[in-house]
Amino acid sequence: MEHNHIRQQTNSENEITEDSEIRDWFRKLIGVWVFAIPIFILMILQRLFGINIFSEQVSVLLFLIFGFPVIFIFGFSTIRGGLRGLITFYFNMDSLIALGTIIAYITGILNLFDILLDYSGVASAIMAIFITGKYIEAKARGKATQEIRKLLELGAKKARVLKGKKEIEIPISEVSIGDIMIIKPGEKIPTDGIVVKGESAVDESMISGESKTDEKRAKSNVIGATINQDGILYVRATKIGKDTFLSHIIQLVEEAQGTKVPIQKMADKVTSIFVPIILVLSILTFFGWMLITKDISAAVGTGIAVLVIACPCSLGLAVPIALTVGSGIGAKRGILIRKGEAIQTMKEVRIIVFDKTGTITKGKPEVTDIYSDVKESYLLDIAASLEKLSEHPLARAIVDKAKLKKYRKVSEFKILRGKGVEGLIGKNKIVIGNRTLMDEKNIPTKGFEPRIDGLEGEGKTVMIVTENAEVIGLIAVADDIKEDSVIAINALSRQGYKTLMITGDNEKTAKTIAKRVGIDAVIANVLPEDKAKKVEELQKRAMVAFVGDGINDAPALKQSNVGIAMGSGTDIAIEAGDIVLAKGSLIGVVQAINLSKGTLRKIKQNLFWAFAYNVVAIPLAVAGLLHPIIAEIAMALSSISVVTNANLLRRKRI
Amino acid sequence: MKKATLYINGMHCASCASNIERSISKIPGTKNQRVNLIAKKGFVDCEDNIKEDDLKNAVKRAGYQAIKVEFS
Repeated sequence: MEHNHIRQQTNSENEITEDSEIRDWFRKLIGVWVFAIPIFILMILQRLFGINIFSEQVSVLLFLIFGFPVIFIFGFSTIRGGLRGLITFYFNMDSLIALGTIIAYITGILNLFDILLDYSGVASAIMAIFITGKYIEAKARGKATQEIRKLLELGAKKARVLKGKKEIEIPISEVSIGDIMIIKPGEKIPTDGIVVKGESAVDESMISGESKTDEKRAKSNVIGATINQDGILYVRATKIGKDTFLSHIIQLVEEAQGTKVPIQKMADKVTSIFVPIILVLSILTFFGWMLITKDISAAVGTGIAVLVIACPCSLGLAVPIALTVGSGIGAKRGILIRKGEAIQTMKEVRIIVFDKTGTITKGKPEVTDIYSDVKESYLLDIAASLEKLSEHPLARAIVDKAKLKKYRKVSEFKILRGKGVEGLIGKNKIVIGNRTLMDEKNIPTKGFEPRIDGLEGEGKTVMIVTENAEVIGLIAVADDIKEDSVIAINALSRQGYKTLMITGDNEKTAKTIAKRVGIDAVIANVLPEDKAKKVEELQKRAMVAFVGDGINDAPALKQSNVGIAMGSGTDIAIEAGDIVLAKGSLIGVVQAINLSKGTLRKIKQNLFWAFAYNVVAIPLAVAGLLHPIIAEIAMALSSISVVTNANLLRRKRI
Repeated sequence: MKKATLYINGMHCASCASNIERSISKIPGTKNQRVNLIAKKGFVDCEDNIKEDDLKNAVKRAGYQAIKVEFS
């Protein structure tokens, strides 16, 4: 109950404006039709069936009386905005509608003096249809942004914190770092933190898109807005406000909405000069018809049709609406598209390069084999003492395995990036590392070669431990492959991508792992700083996507045509990557590609229809083949159809 | 160089967005202006001396209203 209560209170600024816009159009819609329906009935009887209830003068008078509120009261904001646009030269859609309806309305007044044929009924019809179209469009747009709005609503509003020995409920904005929060079953975790007491399953699906719960106990990281399932958790708040995981995701999605897809350049250019062009075209049409037919009424009618048929909206909306729906669907599944450009580039990508550690594998290497010419405990003792000083995941595996209570004193310690470590223990020079390092130091490894080969053949990384330039043992470390890496890479291969794995590991180990997951080729023995250079070389052949963890791989992610950064746990690397995956699974890469392709297809469809509509409809209107009312209906339908088509993206299975 | 995010009211069609982009681009020291009709937001890179009111006025000149400007 409590949880529901919190949810109901949640309301975002964004949603209020969205809903109030729809409500606003709805009010106008009702008002407009109350007055427009009698006009429509009269017009249909007159023009279609030739039934005249009133004399012509009376019916024109009625059109003018009923039409006044339609155009000048309910259509006021449109008329005002449109006229202002005409004066300031910031033309918009309203300028066309305002001009079209006002001119049509004036023909009614002139008709009373027998000067012109009457179009005043048409004026009301145009405004009524325009407002109806806007209402439907606003609703469809609201649907297009639903996922993003849900994301904004996701955050908890209140937190129960421990103050002294008392539990008090405070608004989320008053929680500070270090506060101990108490979360009961069924409640939302208020903000990011570390569990200090308690055990429970936590549903993180709203963040990762994966529908599985995560067991949390003391020292586990928890994410704000995820839901505690079955136990009571005591959590120390570690991040608040703009620094939380959820805030980062929202920030990503919102910034992405501000980016543009290159394909839209043309549409944007046309949109920006569209209205003035139509204005000129409409005037030319009027004079052209005057010249040819000498019939001022026909010329006015055709001129109005040109004004109201033109629709910059379908053109201007075509791309952003599809991008909004696509990024929304992605966000729901933990796929965050940071740059619209990535959607278009993704289609050109032929090569996908994966980082090994933490991307294909779990990134938690463990010691599997130890061969020692000395006492095993001594080997571990010196190895762990040295590796303790390194941050490398392989070093950590050795330290974890040795579980030393006391470390030996190490002097002259040095990290040899991508190769190993060295240092002095007492007077003994210890070097631990890979074959490359041994070659550099001229330490013979010959007697150990068959053993090293065998271990590498099993996909293990072998570290050679030496003392005073003599090998004393081998420590093999293996990093398990993530369960779904195989499925994901198979799916990508089936789609025709060339897959590559890049790693600092030796070739043999790398190849074994690559074979196990189904990767085509490996680039082994690459120093971390050289990954970007390798990507650059591959780019000479084809467009390259790079999949990596976003922290060590930032330069490679930037260098690639599409950088896909894998988030893990509570951190997402915001800066690196065009696409960020909130979950650690490679299935996300497949989904991201499918989503990009689906979104791009929608973008292209929308652009095609928007252009095609205008290219066909405008000449028809100029030629006088479209009645102004039909023209307005077609216009309204064109922008609605673009938005609706974008919403159809939801049907695609990703 | 700083980045401004504008929250904009009153846009309802695609030309509106390009009108605002055009109006903002006339302020010297701004570039890369992007207005999103659906998100009702504008993004622009601007020099440090650009003030909130400069941007608000530009939006107003085009016939719309910026309710909030955030710099980051």
